[in-house]
Amino acid sequence: MDEYDDDTFDDGFNDDASAKRVNLSLWKKLFAYARRYPRDLFWLGVCAFVTACMEVAYPLLTRGVVDEVAIKGADANLLPWVIMYLLVTAAIAIAITAFVQIAGKVRTHVSHDIRAAGFDNLQRLSFSYYDHRPVGWLMARMTSDCERLSNILAWGFLDLIWGSTMMLGIALAMLVMNPKLALVVLCVIPLLAWVSAKFQRRILKSARVVRATNSRITASYNEAIMGVLTSKSFVREDSNQKDFGALTGRMQSASVLNLTQAAIYLPLVITLASLVMGMTLAIGGFDVLNGLVTAGTLVAFMAYARHFFEPVEQLGSWFAEMQMAQASAERILSLIEAEPEIADSAEVQSAIAAQQVISETRSNVAADGGEAQIEHIELRNLSFAYDPAKPVLDDINLSVKRGETIAIVGPTGGGKSTLVNLICRFYEPTRGTVFINHVDYRTRSLNWLQSSLGMVLQNAHVFSGTIMENIRYGRLEASDAEVIAAAKLAGAHDLVTTMEKGYDTQTGEGGTSLSAGQKQLVSFARAILANPQILIMDEATSSVDTETESRIQAGLGNVLEGRIAFVIAHRLSTIRNAHRILVIAEGKIAEMGSHEELMALNGRYRELYRQQSLQETTFELAT
Amino acid sequence: MTTTATSNQQQARKAQRRSSLWQVTRGQRLRYAGAIGAMALTGLFLFGAPMIGRYAIDVVQSGDIRDGISLLASFLPHTSSEQAGVSAYLWASAALTLLVTAIAGCFLYLRGRWAAIASEAITQQLRQALYRRLHHVEAKFYDTADTGDLVQRCSSDVETIRVFLAVHVVEIGRAIMLFVTVMPFLFWMDSRLAWLSIMIMPILAAGAYVFFDKVKTLFEAADKAEGRLTATLQENLTGIRVVRAFARQNFETQKFAERNAQFRDRSQRLMVLQSYYWGVTDFFAMGQLGVVLIVGATFMRDGTLTVGALFAFMTYVGMVIWPVRHLGRVLADTGKAVIALGRVNHILREPAELDGHVPMSGRARGHLQLNNLQFNYDPQTPVLENLTLGIAPGETLGIVGPPGCGKTSLIRVLLRLYDYVDGSVTLDGNELRDLDRHWLRSQIGVVFQDPFLYSRTIGSNVAIGRPNADNNDIWKACQDAAIHDAILGFPDGYDEKVGERGATLSGGQRQRLALARTLLKDPPVLILDDSLSAVDTGTEQLILRALRERKGKQTTLIIAHRLSSVRHADRILVLNHGRVEQLGSHEQLSTSDGLYQRLCKIQSKLDDAIDIDLQASKNNLGA
Repeated sequence: MDEYDDDTFDDGFNDDASAKRVNLSLWKKLFAYARRYPRDLFWLGVCAFVTACMEVAYPLLTRGVVDEVAIKGADANLLPWVIMYLLVTAAIAIAITAFVQIAGKVRTHVSHDIRAAGFDNLQRLSFSYYDHRPVGWLMARMTSDCERLSNILAWGFLDLIWGSTMMLGIALAMLVMNPKLALVVLCVIPLLAWVSAKFQRRILKSARVVRATNSRITASYNEAIMGVLTSKSFVREDSNQKDFGALTGRMQSASVLNLTQAAIYLPLVITLASLVMGMTLAIGGFDVLNGLVTAGTLVAFMAYARHFFEPVEQLGSWFAEMQMAQASAERILSLIEAEPEIADSAEVQSAIAAQQVISETRSNVAADGGEAQIEHIELRNLSFAYDPAKPVLDDINLSVKRGETIAIVGPTGGGKSTLVNLICRFYEPTRGTVFINHVDYRTRSLNWLQSSLGMVLQNAHVFSGTIMENIRYGRLEASDAEVIAAAKLAGAHDLVTTMEKGYDTQTGEGGTSLSAGQKQLVSFARAILANPQILIMDEATSSVDTETESRIQAGLGNVLEGRIAFVIAHRLSTIRNAHRILVIAEGKIAEMGSHEELMALNGRYRELYRQQSLQETTFELAT
Repeated sequence: MTTTATSNQQQARKAQRRSSLWQVTRGQRLRYAGAIGAMALTGLFLFGAPMIGRYAIDVVQSGDIRDGISLLASFLPHTSSEQAGVSAYLWASAALTLLVTAIAGCFLYLRGRWAAIASEAITQQLRQALYRRLHHVEAKFYDTADTGDLVQRCSSDVETIRVFLAVHVVEIGRAIMLFVTVMPFLFWMDSRLAWLSIMIMPILAAGAYVFFDKVKTLFEAADKAEGRLTATLQENLTGIRVVRAFARQNFETQKFAERNAQFRDRSQRLMVLQSYYWGVTDFFAMGQLGVVLIVGATFMRDGTLTVGALFAFMTYVGMVIWPVRHLGRVLADTGKAVIALGRVNHILREPAELDGHVPMSGRARGHLQLNNLQFNYDPQTPVLENLTLGIAPGETLGIVGPPGCGKTSLIRVLLRLYDYVDGSVTLDGNELRDLDRHWLRSQIGVVFQDPFLYSRTIGSNVAIGRPNADNNDIWKACQDAAIHDAILGFPDGYDEKVGERGATLSGGQRQRLALARTLLKDPPVLILDDSLSAVDTGTEQLILRALRERKGKQTTLIIAHRLSSVRHADRILVLNHGRVEQLGSHEQLSTSDGLYQRLCKIQSKLDDAIDIDLQASKNNLGA
């Protein structure tokens, strides 16, 4: 079985879904990033122009010197030519220095700007955007795509001006010097263009295979690293190596094919150039003999014949690159232009702006001018579906006051996490409304709501850095003492102090040097430090041992005071103390009430509860 | 231990040998020599063209074909008029130019083809070696390594080396060959001009040397900045939920902006350096051509040089100077390749796991014996201390303890992912250190806390446990792991793809899938490392029941936080601070003072409460 078949790895990393035509409006949009540097672009154009002109001038100088000597003989005065040559050389040196510098500046700045715009938008986009786009995909857009496009925008622009000036200049110089010889050179151009087009397409095609295979190789390395412990424990080293060997083998043959095509192309171009040179020599030489053309002109023509193909090739390859990179351009633009599905409305934005004008800060006014204190949350007829055919939540009604703790229980996939995500406005309900203090939360600032949140998730994410820094992420201006106090409340303090470096312990990339339980404790401390008005705990202590958990439970009462809390848990012991318990099943609130009420109801909750207790005894009997 | 030391040394020496760019080319040097040879022949034939042109111009100037190449003239049919003779000579020259270039083109093709085969073969070897090394390094390597950085080394650094091998190795060879072959021509034509034309070389060489040094430093800095940028981006994207939950978008944007700007500025600095180098070398190179032209013209005026000779001279000097102009790029890329190879070698030099010398085969009985086992990640903080413990074949041992007490470390030692510091561990009486690692690991099945799944179908992920298993075996394993029904619920069932683009599995589903593949492996020693933490209690009980049915067939270690997972084990080990705190059956431990009893008390308090609740509600219901 070929584990690296195209289907398995066709995961959006195929960067070169080459376009048939160049989509100009797309490039215009991208070029707007380069236009932010108008002065640099202007000078870049000037330098490219000057460089091309000077390169056109060299053969003319040679011609002048040769003719000066050939015609005037011993009386020839070379001093003006020396000066001119020196000037041209100085000009070209300065122009080249300048254009490399300016193009370098434009390239790095454009890349920076596109990346910054992408990052800004990524911070605004809703979670639904991330649901369908793997991190690796986003990374590729923000790194290699940015580099590739900025490269085209800066150097492509430069070469466009340089190449067209050079072609035009050479053609003009040749036509002025000798139209007949000029036509000899120019008539080979269509042939060259044809050969170039033919070959470039083939080369690009095989290059696409190389790139696609390369993405796969990168993905395999990634998998090898991420899954190293699993591969070792299943003794998969050799079979993985075999699969990888097949992949690199494919890469090798694709690359060799690609390079071979290029190896055929180059000699063809050179041979074509020599054809032109030979014809120039034969036809022009005869004219020299007849005195129709000077020797200097012939020398200049032969030099031009050599140089004329450079810009043709150069422009052709840029054109091809633009075709290839079009998919990248589309994707990065779609990333930058994607509108977040959830964002502040125009009214909210103007309210925020108005509030900024009023510089005085009142304690109970939020950034959007609304009440800062959350007293009350109400869900009214709330429904949600990713796919209309399969509703995840259906007609949920719930009202919660400040100080209340709501526990949410129910089977996996029942919609517990979705409910919490809706309350946090990570997603918006497809039907129904969430009211905060009796106001539709869509008329409040998103940033205000989300900065009033504290979240602890089962799959706790910890950033690289020290434990101290990670907890402080909850409130950036917190002092060390406050961080430690939060850690104590979360039951993390004792654990941290047993580590050699205590709070300065490095957590490693994604928290790799911490165990799952340790990560949960750290992220719990982080949420407590944030002093949130709404605290969400989604299976927050599932990887913590019973004793630590019961210690957390003991302190939890203080933590929850004065806040609204939603607690999702499997372990019912965790939720007995909640003010109210929701049993969510099949997208609906199946039962709601206090522990006692639900027990009395003799329904799902009681069944869940009974299971937990009885399992132990029944299995004891079974063994 | 001595064998370990010597083979370590051997490995170090072996790695050392791979360290230079020269060493990398081993095995392909002959082909490279061929490519460089072909390049030299290409050059030789390409020199022919200007030579032919030179004589043609001289013939035209004098109007006498005796000034031309006599060999070429002798082939021409005798013509009546001088003009017709010259014309024939010119056309013959044109044809010869074409022929010579075409032959050069053939050699050029050979050069490209051979260089491609050689460089791709080397690159493939390098890729394979990296992949192998990533699988065989000790697990501790990954404690400090950063995934993004490793992948970058394996992909873009290898690519830098590949480009160097494919293009620049031959290019450098060519520059040298060109220099060596052109110089005799120049001296043969006119030694005065020849001296003038190499005047500039030492200056260019010195400049290139200084540039090479600087470009390496700047490139390294830019590369580091890029690494930091990528890491920041990756962290932000993987932790986007945390970023949102704490509304830290501004903080993140600022952090990213800093890295983004740093990368921009450092890349720009690299470009500025290159711009000066290009400008200065171009000035010198073109100036050199100017000197040849002007001085040549004065010689022409004195009658000591023909126009044709000057033309040839200019063309040759241009040929020699062309690679010199490009030397900057070649050197810059060589600098990059040296840095890239260093980064790749960092991985290749990492010592691989060493294998024991006791050959083993067949199935182990599963008797584990630990004597005074000591283990740590760094000597200051002991993780396991004097652990002594015997586990009988077929026994089920539960392991509990607070986070960070060494549970997971113990598993790592048993798998020999990490080496123990002191003491002994034996499997069926054989010291683990002496055993073949692969055999050992094939005897142990572990389900990790946060399991890794390969990006393949669900079916082939499970089949990894036993590659030759049939569908019935796979289904049975999945049924035991209580995941079979969930899999059938996916649109593609067992053919559903796992991974970012396939089914998004919940934490509990991933854990159960990992359990299924380990059950399929059917190892003599089964280890569950807190691997049911994300599974709800009801499902957990189903799984534990299935496991109990297998009881006695394999030695089983269950690490868990819930009492319900371990209480039916034959014995329970309470681990604290890396020591055995308690060891005994549930009955023994629950009646003796200690951590386990405390856990039981917490649990029984809950159980009592549940009982009372149930009782009370039953009474209520009854009433």
